[in-house]
Parts: sequence; structure tokens; C-alpha cells
Amino acid sequence: MRMPLGLAPENRVVRVVEVRGGRGLIRRLSELGFLKGEWVRVLKSGPSGPALVEVKGSRIALGRGVLMRIIVECVPP
Amino acid sequence: MKEIEVALIGNPNVGKSLIFNNLTGGRAHVGNWPGKTVEKKEGRCIHKGVTMRIIDLPGVYSLTAASIDELIARSYIVEERPDVVVDIVDASNLERNLYLTLQLLELEANLVIALNKSDIAEGLGYEIDVKGLSELLGVPVVPTIATVKVGMEELKDAIVEASKRGVKAKVRYREDIEELIERIGDILKRDENLTKKYPARWLAIKIIEGDGEVMRLIEERGLIEELREVIG
Ligand SMILES: Nc1nc2c(ncn2[C@@H]2O[C@H](COP(=O)(O)OP(=O)(O)OP(=O)(O)O)[C@@H](O)[C@H]2O)c(=O)[nH]1
Ligand SMILES: [Mg+2]
Repeated sequence: MRMPLGLAPENRVVRVVEVRGGRGLIRRLSELGFLKGEWVRVLKSGPSGPALVEVKGSRIALGRGVLMRIIVECVPP
Repeated sequence: MKEIEVALIGNPNVGKSLIFNNLTGGRAHVGNWPGKTVEKKEGRCIHKGVTMRIIDLPGVYSLTAASIDELIARSYIVEERPDVVVDIVDASNLERNLYLTLQLLELEANLVIALNKSDIAEGLGYEIDVKGLSELLGVPVVPTIATVKVGMEELKDAIVEASKRGVKAKVRYREDIEELIERIGDILKRDENLTKKYPARWLAIKIIEGDGEVMRLIEERGLIEELREVIG
């Protein structure tokens, strides 16, 4: 199932399928490790505000707006 | 006695502060970067008759200048031109960490790589070909374990040697990109004051990327029109 990273459940490993944004955002997120095909995991999230995400061995905080632009594939457990 | 300037840089949490403390004995002068509220730490280390002034740069994933920390780290390396830049790399997370390394090579920094957290990498079963990595990148690579001060003498040796040798490594791109870099570089070199301050090759690469800060600089210098003919 596809959804924005901002809606992905905590502690589930999901896969990035797309970043919906301009060149600048795509580049910035790729530098942080959010590349198409990358496995990521939301560690701490809520209905609003930033979330803590694990990607390529680092923990990175992302704001809500950006979280909604990263589309992930969520495989049912 | 000779004094050299050494900058420590790396991704967040790689062990910069520990290495800084190991090198300086923990004696640091703490201030702020000019006009910024980011902490600036500076210390000293004397090794084999050479005094090193050591500067701890903020932890960054890249040098795109997208955040204050990145801007500070990048301006420092580009504008201050420290004698040696120690790139502290997390050996247990090479793929992510080497991205910054490539950006530092593009900047033509005089690099020494500290392959820190070697104990964690080993625990994960990684066998890193240190010599191969060093040959591939063209810079010295020193395995370290900052928590138990392993590799610190070797790191100091490598820093002193690098300061005598100067920069030798360079990242080379595909032939068509290299041609473009050269054509842009030729235009930039007409502005001597600009290329005295920034490496022409680095500026050219950033122009191809459309880097915001560099494009602003190019516009200020009135070079944008000439460049349009090359980059469209
Ligand atoms: N096992 C192991 N842990 C290390 C090593 N080097 C650093 N650490 C640990 O990694 C963590 C981060 O170390 P710091 O020295 O604070 O790293 P830093 O790069 O200054 O971190 P920031 O300033 O937050 O970017 C600490 O918990 C250290 O104990 C090492 O070589 N081996
Ligand atoms: Mg630190």
C-alpha cells in the first residue's frame, strides 16, 4: 500500500517510491538518504509536527510538510 | 615553530568531539562563528615539532549550504583554506559518510580520512580494505577508535605529512562533463579575484549543479551572461 511517510506507522520498515517536489527538495532529501528504493523507518511520529526517521543508519527529523511529500510503499506485516 | 590549521569535519555523531578532545587534551576555546549562534571549538595539539590549531566544524551530511551548519562548514573550508581537513568517517556506515567525502574532494580540500568507529564496523563483520580505499580516493586513510584513543598517533602523523605534501586528489567526471567544467572554468578565470578566492573547478561544478550560493556569487561578479552561452 502506498502512502506519504507522514502517515506510515511507527517502527515499520517502508520503502521510498517517490519524492513529490521540485529539484531542490528532491536533491536535499537525496542528500539525507531519501532516495527511491531506500528502506526507511519512522521511529517517532504523531498526527502533527515533525517525525524522527531512520534512514541509511542515521536518525533524521523531518517536518510535516516534507513528510507528506515522501511517498512510501508499506508492505503488510 | 611551524603552525598549521586543521579542521575536523564529518556527519553528525561520527565521533568528532571525541577525536577533538583526544587531539587537544580537552583544552578548548569555545566561541561562536561570526554572527551565528553555532558553537565554534578551537584547540591546540603539538606533534613532532608542529603546532596544530584544531577547529571542530559542525556535523553535516553535505556541503550544499542548505542549513546554517552546512554554510559555516563550507565557507570555512572554501574561504579559510585550512592546511589540512580531517574528514571523520563512520566506518560502520560508509555509504552515507562517503558522500560528504566526495564533496570535500570536489572542494579540493587537503584531506585526511579518519575511519572512526572501526570497532563497530568490525563487530558487524565488515572488512574494510583501507589501502584500497586510500588508493581509490587518493588520500590517506587512518582507522581509529576514538572511545579508546586507538589510531590517534597515526592520525597526527598523517596530518603533519599531509600539511607538507599539499592537495593531490581530485574527483574526475565523465568526459563530456569534464569538457563543460573546463569551458566554464575558462570563463571564470577571467575574474582573477574570484578564482584566487575559490577553486575554479569547484565553482564550475557548482554552476553545473545550479547551486544557489554560487549562482548568486556569479551574478554579483557579472559573469552570468557569458556563462549562459555555455550552460544555456
Ligand atoms: N564504539 C565506538 N563509539 C564511538 C567511537 N567514536 C565515537 N563514539 C561514540 O559515538 C557517539 C558520538 O560521539 P561524538 O564525539 O559526540 O560525535 P560528534 O561527531 O561530535 O557528534 P555531533 O557533534 O553530535 O555531530 C558517542 O556516544 C561516542 O561515545 C568509536 O570509535 N567507537
Ligand atoms: Mg560534537
